[in-house]
Amino acid sequence: MAERMAFSPVPYTRRRRAVKFMLPLLGLVVIWQLVVVIFDVNPRIFPDVPTVLRAGWGTIADGSLLGHVTASLWRVTVGTVLAILLAVPLGILMGVSRGVSSFLSPLFRFFAVLAGIAWIPIATLWFGYGFGAITFVIFNAVFFVVAYNTLLGVSTIPMPIRHAAASLGTSRWQLLKEVLVPGALPNIVTGIRTGMGFAWRGLIAAEMIATNTGLGYMLFLARDFYRTEVIVFAMIIIGIIWLVLDRLLLAPLERATVERWGMVQRS
Amino acid sequence: MKNLSLENLSKTYFDPYAGTTVNAVQDVSLNVAAGEFVAVVGPSGCGKTTILNMIAGFVPISGGRVLVGGKEVKGPGPDRGVVFQSFALFPWKTVAENVTFGPKMRGVGKAERAKIAEEYLALAGLSHAADRYPNELSGGMQQRVGVVRALANNPDVLLMDEPFASVDAQTRMTLQEELTRIWEERRPTVIFITHDVAEAVFLANRVVVLSKGNVLEEVDIDLPRPRSWDRLVEDGDFKGLSNKVLQLVRSA
Ligand SMILES: Nc1ncnc2c1ncn2[C@@H]1O[C@H](COP(=O)(O)OP(=O)(O)OP(=O)(O)O)[C@@H](O)[C@H]1O
Ligand SMILES: [Mg+2]
Repeated sequence: MAERMAFSPVPYTRRRRAVKFMLPLLGLVVIWQLVVVIFDVNPRIFPDVPTVLRAGWGTIADGSLLGHVTASLWRVTVGTVLAILLAVPLGILMGVSRGVSSFLSPLFRFFAVLAGIAWIPIATLWFGYGFGAITFVIFNAVFFVVAYNTLLGVSTIPMPIRHAAASLGTSRWQLLKEVLVPGALPNIVTGIRTGMGFAWRGLIAAEMIATNTGLGYMLFLARDFYRTEVIVFAMIIIGIIWLVLDRLLLAPLERATVERWGMVQRS
Repeated sequence: MKNLSLENLSKTYFDPYAGTTVNAVQDVSLNVAAGEFVAVVGPSGCGKTTILNMIAGFVPISGGRVLVGGKEVKGPGPDRGVVFQSFALFPWKTVAENVTFGPKMRGVGKAERAKIAEEYLALAGLSHAADRYPNELSGGMQQRVGVVRALANNPDVLLMDEPFASVDAQTRMTLQEELTRIWEERRPTVIFITHDVAEAVFLANRVVVLSKGNVLEEVDIDLPRPRSWDRLVEDGDFKGLSNKVLQLVRSA
């Protein structure tokens, strides 16, 4: 495997992987167009590809798409960053003390399940409509998943590794910095990846209810005006943004660290 | 290097499920001189790992004391270096970073650490692998790192629990030869636990045979050094001592 990698130039492999990834999606677009044309589907129900592209171009040209995308990404960024900043230290703290962790982990599992859109109604009561409520929902989606995974990561660091650190003279602080955080990193990264997945879905749902800008709102608004082509375009953008985020941001993060260390299997 | 003594060391485990207690180690006393290599053998379950873990400070002592250089030890500490059967290298650190982990914890500076890495990697024949990660190494190479990681921290005593049990027979012999060479060069105080009687006789100055948590017998190994398998494999004294220890283990 390593040898084959060495012989094939990286850009080539990367392009081939990109093509392999895009091909099924392109196939879907082709089938979509064929089905719409052959069965002469009512554009209210499902428009054809050129109509959607034209509508999409319209939202790009008048700047409305950019506004929605920016609003959505900003909320996701703020909610996620805040959640990670609080969840990782808390998860580690819980992982350090077995008593605390066994007490808190049922709670965290409970809230990890509940995290996301279930919080929308109460969030709007607390924060009103707009940025606060939506960011809170995202925060929730990421926070519990990351905290739980961090806890899991710390508590599954093998005993011999901890013993090795102790018999090499680590202080408590050094143990945290040199062993617990890097040891838990595979789980932390997984937590961030799943958490952001939840957050992105939750965001769209929350934006349909609790705001007047963002991709979810764009969907909702288009529905009110029976603009199916805008709905379809927005759905495509939502999917693409997530794929780009996941493949260009989260997956490389995983590759750069934990895969190199052999702590997770290459996916 | 310092001497190590175990005074009436005992360990009783409590099994909360069965509600019973196990006397894993009972009243073991042992003196290891500074710079001595002692191997501990005995049948499975006789308490070898328990003794080592008490010396290392990984499990609480039920009775008796462990003294390093005359000072009683409590809990794990850098005065007792440990080499683990499972290697226990830090996967997120390179080979060089693993080897200099102890010095880094003591606050040794970067330049000094680079020198330490160079010295100890050369000792282990791993200079070429300094920047690789443990998962990119074979088991034999990983355990070489495990050994020099412990040594590079200048412990008073080196504790090894079946360190070569999980590598293939060929590699094991090479590692054994390397360990004797390193020991002859540096003379650390070593407690080496193993199932393998030949390994114990090959490496040690003295072999301690355990039986059911007690010291059954101690056998002095006065084979000449340097030792190598090429010479010892046909050596009458080596065979005689191995047989003697094997009989003891089997009777234990
Ligand atoms: N954590 C534990 N709780 C309860 N009993 C234990 C525990 N660890 C070991 N024992 C028991 O103590 C005894 C000694 O175990 P120990 O692991 O020290 O043996 P050992 O000589 O190292 O065996 P092996 O050669 O198989 O590694 C055994 O009877 C074992 O079942
Ligand atoms: Mg054992």
